[in-house]
Amino acid sequence: MNAPTLELPVRSATVRLTDLRKRYRVGDDWAEALKGVSLTAAAGEMVALTGPSGSGKSTLLNLAGLIDTPDAGTREIAGHAVDGLDDAALTNLRREQVGFIFQGFNLVPVMNVADNVEYPLLLLGRPPAERRRKVAEMLESTGLAGFAGRLPDALSGGQRQRVAIARALVKSPSLVIADEPTANLDSHTAQQIVDLLRELSHERGAAVVVATHDERMSAHCDRVLRLADGELVKGERQ
Amino acid sequence: MKWILFAWKNVMRNKRRSLTAMLITAMGTAAVLIGGGFALFTYESLEEMTARDSGHVVLAAARGFDNDEDVPLQHGLIGAAALAAHYGTQQGVRAVAPRIQFSGLISNGDKSAVFVGSGVDPAVDFRLRGPQLNFVAGEAPGPSEAVPEVAIGDELATLMKAKVGGSLTLLATTTEGNLNAVDVVVRGIVKTGVPDIDRRLVMTDIRAVQRLLLTDKVGSLAIYLKDTAQTEAIAAQVKAANPELAVRTWRDLAVFYQAVRALYNRIFGILGLIMVVIVAFAMSNTLGMAVVERTREIGTLRAIGTQPGEVVRNFVLEGVAIGTAGAAIGMLAAGLTTLGLIFAGLEMPPPPGRSTGYPLLLSFSPALYLGATLVVVALAAAAAWFVSRRAAHKPITEALAHV
Repeated sequence: MNAPTLELPVRSATVRLTDLRKRYRVGDDWAEALKGVSLTAAAGEMVALTGPSGSGKSTLLNLAGLIDTPDAGTREIAGHAVDGLDDAALTNLRREQVGFIFQGFNLVPVMNVADNVEYPLLLLGRPPAERRRKVAEMLESTGLAGFAGRLPDALSGGQRQRVAIARALVKSPSLVIADEPTANLDSHTAQQIVDLLRELSHERGAAVVVATHDERMSAHCDRVLRLADGELVKGERQ
Repeated sequence: MKWILFAWKNVMRNKRRSLTAMLITAMGTAAVLIGGGFALFTYESLEEMTARDSGHVVLAAARGFDNDEDVPLQHGLIGAAALAAHYGTQQGVRAVAPRIQFSGLISNGDKSAVFVGSGVDPAVDFRLRGPQLNFVAGEAPGPSEAVPEVAIGDELATLMKAKVGGSLTLLATTTEGNLNAVDVVVRGIVKTGVPDIDRRLVMTDIRAVQRLLLTDKVGSLAIYLKDTAQTEAIAAQVKAANPELAVRTWRDLAVFYQAVRALYNRIFGILGLIMVVIVAFAMSNTLGMAVVERTREIGTLRAIGTQPGEVVRNFVLEGVAIGTAGAAIGMLAAGLTTLGLIFAGLEMPPPPGRSTGYPLLLSFSPALYLGATLVVVALAAAAAWFVSRRAAHKPITEALAHV
């Protein structure tokens, strides 16, 4: 029997996760990280996942971002049925449809700002002129136009997270996965990052699933889903 | 181009470590090139020496190389003059020289010693042998006179107390099995650098030897070519045209050359193998540490859509960059060493069985440089592939959690 899920109907779903289950081996035992969680998110919608540590937020994000495989359940991203695809096909799907924003920014330190933002387009084999144009647009949108040649080490935390947002959205993905994107930022900068992420994802029609402990972040999301012990316990549209 | 630039930036991420790997690669490359250059120079010198001594292609009667004659020149070559005239005008042939190897006793009237003689065409042989015959006194003998002229080894000259212009007597067994003698004048004293030869060497006009041995045969006919590389082709032609004769190339007759080549191939082959192991180890160590340090970054790149093969390719490019830079530095070092030795004038000590050293020089071989570079770069690429393939296939969630 499926665990209870709380989910509200949304516009045409970009992401549809149904009855996802995942367990991990802990010593000789198994720990259930997700107990049949379902989630949908529409284009331009921002969904917050909240809950205490160990509640299953990161596991759900990993499954939604196609970097982990569920033990049971189905996933659909931008109309693509995901389950059963091999690693190469999943990687290609991530390359085209999924952007990631990490808590620790995870920028490539030897690449300057422009190169970090350009990288996903390089993977997609976009022509140089198109890459240059899109990177310039993205840097302009994220307020980084004057920082194109700087290395990540020479940027503040807020600026690095802006670069990460630019990198995630430059390819206009269907889905953006954000794991605690404001955790390492001061409140003022965190607010700017939340606003920026919301604005750009709406503008580009990307569904955003964000795991956060930050109430300022969740307050700006279209929906807030609370996870506890691997189950969705609360869902509310703001 | 972007990927190469990315690889180079990653190489420069830890400059000290990458530089160390480059220097180890450079030293390995330079060691192989210097060792290989020395071996090549030795081979070329020995080839030159051997070909100058024996001729590139040597003709003899059917059993002329068997060394089982009952009397001198029993298996000598008849009609050598016609053959010499014929091959002397062939394309690619520099000269043709008849030879007779003979032996006997040499005497100054007071004492005698064994000699090993060589009857040669003075107009050809002393010109072609070049620096191999180092005249320490006097000069090369001329054509046979009433009293033939000889060149003798310096140790034999000392033994016979002979000086240039002095008289000696050669005593040898004729082709009929009798003893015959001829008085000769010392025209030159030579030093070959091989004491065993210098103790017994006598060289004189072949016509004088034919008179001494009472024959018009010659022992062999040496064909000197303009280009050593043509040896096998000309030998095949000569063999086809003279199926009744025995034909050998300088390589067949060069026992010392073959032995040295076999020895050096083994020595420098092992040296090359050691260098391969060192370069592979250095490269694996450097890139292995880079892979571990960048595991989280690999996870990030994989998450945003980089295929495992592309991750491996990036590391392979880094390996290629380090290998190419190291090989370039190694080639530069080996090239400068090759040039430096030309001006330094250093000498190797005499090898066993010789009394003179030889110049310490290195041959420059584009093929060797290209081969060494390709091996080093391929090795670096293979090491990078080996150390990065596991990390590239690591589960992304594990890689992202790596600390």
